[in-house]
Amino acid sequence: MSGFRLNLRDGVGTAIDSASTVTFIFDGKSYEGLRGDSLASALIANGISIVARSFKYHRPRGIFTAGSEEPSALVTLRKGGRTEPNIRATEVELYDGLIASSQNAWPSVDFDLMAVNQLPGKAFSAGFYYKTFMGPKMAGNRTTQFWWLCEQLIRRAAGLGKGAELPDPDRYGRMNAFCDLLVVGSGAAGLAAAELAANSGASVILCEERALAGGALTSAPDFIDGQLARDWAADKCRQLVSHANVRLLTRTTVQSYFDDNTFMAVERVADHVPTPAKGQVRQRAWNIRAKSAVFATGALERPIVFPGNDKPGVMLADAVRRYAVEYGAAPGKQVVVFTNNDSGWLAARDIARTGVVVAAIVDVRPDVSDVARGAGEDSRAKVFLGSAVTRAKGFRTLSAIEISAYNELTGKVGDTRDTMGCDCLAVSGGWSPAFHLTSQQGTKPVWDAELQAFLPGNPTQKWHGAGAMCGEMGLQAALETGAAAAEAALSEAAVPAGVADIPVVDGDRIDFAPAPVFEIYTGKKSFVDLQHDVTADDVRLAHREGFVSVEHLKRYTTMGMATDQGKTSNLTGLAIMARARDLPIPEVGTTRFRPPYTPTALGAIAGELYGHLKPDRLTPMHDWHVANGASMYANGLWSRPESYNRPGESVEQAYIREARAVRAGVGLVDVSTLGKIDVQGPDAAEFLNRVYSNGFAKLPVGKARYGLMLREDGFLFDDGTTWRLDEHRFLMTTTTAGAGRVMEHLEYHLDVVWPDLKVAIASVTDEWAGVAVAGPKSREVLKACIKGVDVSDKGLPFMGVREGMINGVRVLVARLSFSGERAYEVYCGAGWGQALWDSLLKAGETFDVVPYGLEALSTLRIEKGHVAGPELNGRTTPLDLGLGGMVSNKKNFVGAALLKRSAFHEAGRLQLVAIKSTDGQKIVGGGHLVKGSLENPGESEGHTTSTCFSPELNCYISLAMLKQGTARHGERLFATSPIRNRHVAVEVVSPHMVDPEGGRMRG
Amino acid sequence: MVNTPDKVSPLADLAMPNRPAGRQPQVELSERLCDSLVQVQAWPGTMAKVHKAISDVTGTRPAKGHAAALKGPVCIMPAGPGRYLIEDETENLEIRLRAAIGAHLGAVTGLTHGRVVVAIRGEKAAWVLASGIAINFDPSAFPVGDVRLTHHHDIGVTIHRTAEDAFDLYVFTSFARGFWHWISTAAEEVGYSVG
Repeated sequence: MSGFRLNLRDGVGTAIDSASTVTFIFDGKSYEGLRGDSLASALIANGISIVARSFKYHRPRGIFTAGSEEPSALVTLRKGGRTEPNIRATEVELYDGLIASSQNAWPSVDFDLMAVNQLPGKAFSAGFYYKTFMGPKMAGNRTTQFWWLCEQLIRRAAGLGKGAELPDPDRYGRMNAFCDLLVVGSGAAGLAAAELAANSGASVILCEERALAGGALTSAPDFIDGQLARDWAADKCRQLVSHANVRLLTRTTVQSYFDDNTFMAVERVADHVPTPAKGQVRQRAWNIRAKSAVFATGALERPIVFPGNDKPGVMLADAVRRYAVEYGAAPGKQVVVFTNNDSGWLAARDIARTGVVVAAIVDVRPDVSDVARGAGEDSRAKVFLGSAVTRAKGFRTLSAIEISAYNELTGKVGDTRDTMGCDCLAVSGGWSPAFHLTSQQGTKPVWDAELQAFLPGNPTQKWHGAGAMCGEMGLQAALETGAAAAEAALSEAAVPAGVADIPVVDGDRIDFAPAPVFEIYTGKKSFVDLQHDVTADDVRLAHREGFVSVEHLKRYTTMGMATDQGKTSNLTGLAIMARARDLPIPEVGTTRFRPPYTPTALGAIAGELYGHLKPDRLTPMHDWHVANGASMYANGLWSRPESYNRPGESVEQAYIREARAVRAGVGLVDVSTLGKIDVQGPDAAEFLNRVYSNGFAKLPVGKARYGLMLREDGFLFDDGTTWRLDEHRFLMTTTTAGAGRVMEHLEYHLDVVWPDLKVAIASVTDEWAGVAVAGPKSREVLKACIKGVDVSDKGLPFMGVREGMINGVRVLVARLSFSGERAYEVYCGAGWGQALWDSLLKAGETFDVVPYGLEALSTLRIEKGHVAGPELNGRTTPLDLGLGGMVSNKKNFVGAALLKRSAFHEAGRLQLVAIKSTDGQKIVGGGHLVKGSLENPGESEGHTTSTCFSPELNCYISLAMLKQGTARHGERLFATSPIRNRHVAVEVVSPHMVDPEGGRMRG
Repeated sequence: MVNTPDKVSPLADLAMPNRPAGRQPQVELSERLCDSLVQVQAWPGTMAKVHKAISDVTGTRPAKGHAAALKGPVCIMPAGPGRYLIEDETENLEIRLRAAIGAHLGAVTGLTHGRVVVAIRGEKAAWVLASGIAINFDPSAFPVGDVRLTHHHDIGVTIHRTAEDAFDLYVFTSFARGFWHWISTAAEEVGYSVG
């Protein structure tokens, strides 16, 4: 192929600006193109024939199509973090400074040493990987082992482009949109549909894959209502966008069709410029919910398979026509058209009109229509009827073709009629409707014997096909079916449709039915799937080896996989398989298309979420924690201080220091993250009595109570304290991580199980900031700053709740202890959280108060034997954790029935204990409790749950679950973790290691 | 007598007024301080009495459907069946409503500290919101004065459309910075100022 730029004039180069030159780089060399060019058209205009190398054999590949169905011309775009491989050159809009490179070739795409792969071509036939790389892993099976070594090298030699390893610097946006009607495709059918809907007042979204709306009209020679088709389309688009109820999205591919008429479309917002502007997204994923949809996605031309058909220079006929007409880029100096239908003849005529020499038209049919003959005469091409191209010749690119007699009924090739020099062969094997979106929704296609193509079938959702997409070929049919589809769709969307005004078409009217010829078989190598180097013989091999189902065929040969998903190859492959099986094509079946329609950047799918898949929740004192050296720790969505590390201090050193300070004096910890639920109503006490396993009905006003919440199946669900603020108002606290699920649990029971209860619940987690003041000096600290509360044992006893003021801030104080020391939880409005924290710190200065983090908090509760998340893990019951005394037998509650099942009372259940390291080693979390050695540990008898170093006991300790643990205090075991090579000698003890009588927290 | 300190918003350092140089911003973001925000929940069968109690306290009744009722500084937003979010300038709204409603009619929960109000205004306000929130912002589906309870990913948000091009967004306080980060990033595409 030796492409060149045509003499640009009216009707030649309709999509480009001949006065505006842009410079681009391909494979390191600078070229010039024109604004409006695609990368493919610019490469053609610059005479670049070989753009890529094939996947397996590294055969030279050129440009095959002019759209997103391109299988061959894959390039890598841009540099650095913006590097993007496997982009179809046919879809890339040229811009000044564009950098593109070929891929899968070394040292260059013109001279690729890896083309040596072609030599053992037969060995790399279908099933090569399955036959070669899969085998039993047996000692002595050297063949398989050898191939394992080779696999890496071969995989490196085969493949597509390489992705960037640097972070992508661009932004990807998202948009949610709703409409009465989504129209996919802005060709004649799409515009007719959109116009009717727009005039009816419906909200319309019209999506067009290309930058220029109009679909096939942009290069059609026909007239509509007296206007040239492309001018009519441009006018219609202008009219449509003037409607407030219409949104036209160009450069937007509707990729996916989901349930409930939900679509995902990707808009290439800034792919046509060097870099997005400040704040601009590179691509935007549209989530479109449409009441109904019209698919006017047209049809994709398919090739005819013949020997040598993968040579650069062999292209689809309509693509050659579009390059010549729209871009003024002639793919060759001497073009031959090879067709089995009339549209190839029209393409020949249109190509010739641009000034390109069409040397011949080769048609497999013995006779053609008058319209085709007329077009052939206009093109001044030599005509070969009842003939086929039986070979494409040329060293690396097409230089000549061999034309032979051909019988379309028998498929027999006759004598050679001519060998003709040509550098571009424009092939048309008929048209396949682009029903990919309907297929995604499971609509089974139906075979149309006349068109030799599958049609979309009956809708399973609210969509309507129009134009070539549903087999209604030709411009007049597109306009009529577009309006009809919109009318039907509007009816579904409950929008009264206006009257359609179908324009008059003056243009070609042809019969699009092709001769049923998919392959010219001569026994020589012919390619079905250009992207994956799948030959017609590979399909026949699959048949011989029993892979006759289309699903097996696809996977065995890889036909229809990768970036093009077989848009130009699936039907041809299917036809070859049908011939091999001697079955009609529809009986062989067809695969189902899956989303997306074309390859989609992961960034477009992820949107703005990359970097933070979940939002952070911050407490009112967050900034103080960070400013004061806290290492922050993710606890669910919350960010919490792990410890306040002093210079040179490790986390372990810091938490030990903090925990010691609390036991000896006083500490402050931010507990704002605890779940808080406001429970109100005349039946609130009764409600709590039903959701907790222990009694709440008689909890006095001004008191708090620790409660256990069970699931319906009797397992522990969550715990926390609930404070009675007045007769009908409670403040429930939950674990930090459990707040959401407790809220759902309560809402479910109120709405579904006990709708008769007058109870309202509301999340007030974010309403209240919370600070726990813990340690023997906590009372002094509180006393120094609080007003209106007697903090003596009598005035504020253990589990008492009071309201007071601290430096002008109204606070709720509850005397609760998680640490086992005397402690208070002080709550205030979140907006005053920092003020409260500051006040307590200031009041505590005289008592050497320290802030402490999550690690110290955990250490203190482990020493005390208080359970938390690791023990409330969904597999434990109150009895397992020694909390049987909190299970009421005087009332019913959620989980009560199933808590009685015998399995929960078996002797072998794991029970809560504590273990102490007796050899000074650190106990690992998740370690198993065993009797044996590291090498031979024996059966696991339990496992550790929460571990730490205990400053109080001066050794490593852990809470653990142990079989019949309650009866095994004093026993010696090992906490082992073979994968971490740890085997720690431990002694089983009571979990209540500090102040088991509770005198410290009560006194 | 110690004065009550000012409430500190998590957006205090972020929502500082600024107007970027260069292109004309198409939206303005701001934080609107909320003096009192209270949730009222009526029991089944007590709705009419609760409406009257609300009216006695605030001077206006809840509106029908999804619409907010506005009177002076009072805004009553529907938040579910028999449930309302009521905003006012007075700081003792919760106490007054609780006294007027009582446990026999419904529940009254103070949420003044639990929400941060982010306001967005400008011709591209709906566009910015639609880029992250999956509801229909077309005025025909979401008229001026209406309220929607929805979420942006994991962040719950109550949206009050105060004008064709203006919305008040009530966001959970602990998520406020995350929400601000999202909305300001989303607004970069159209350009924004902070008012």
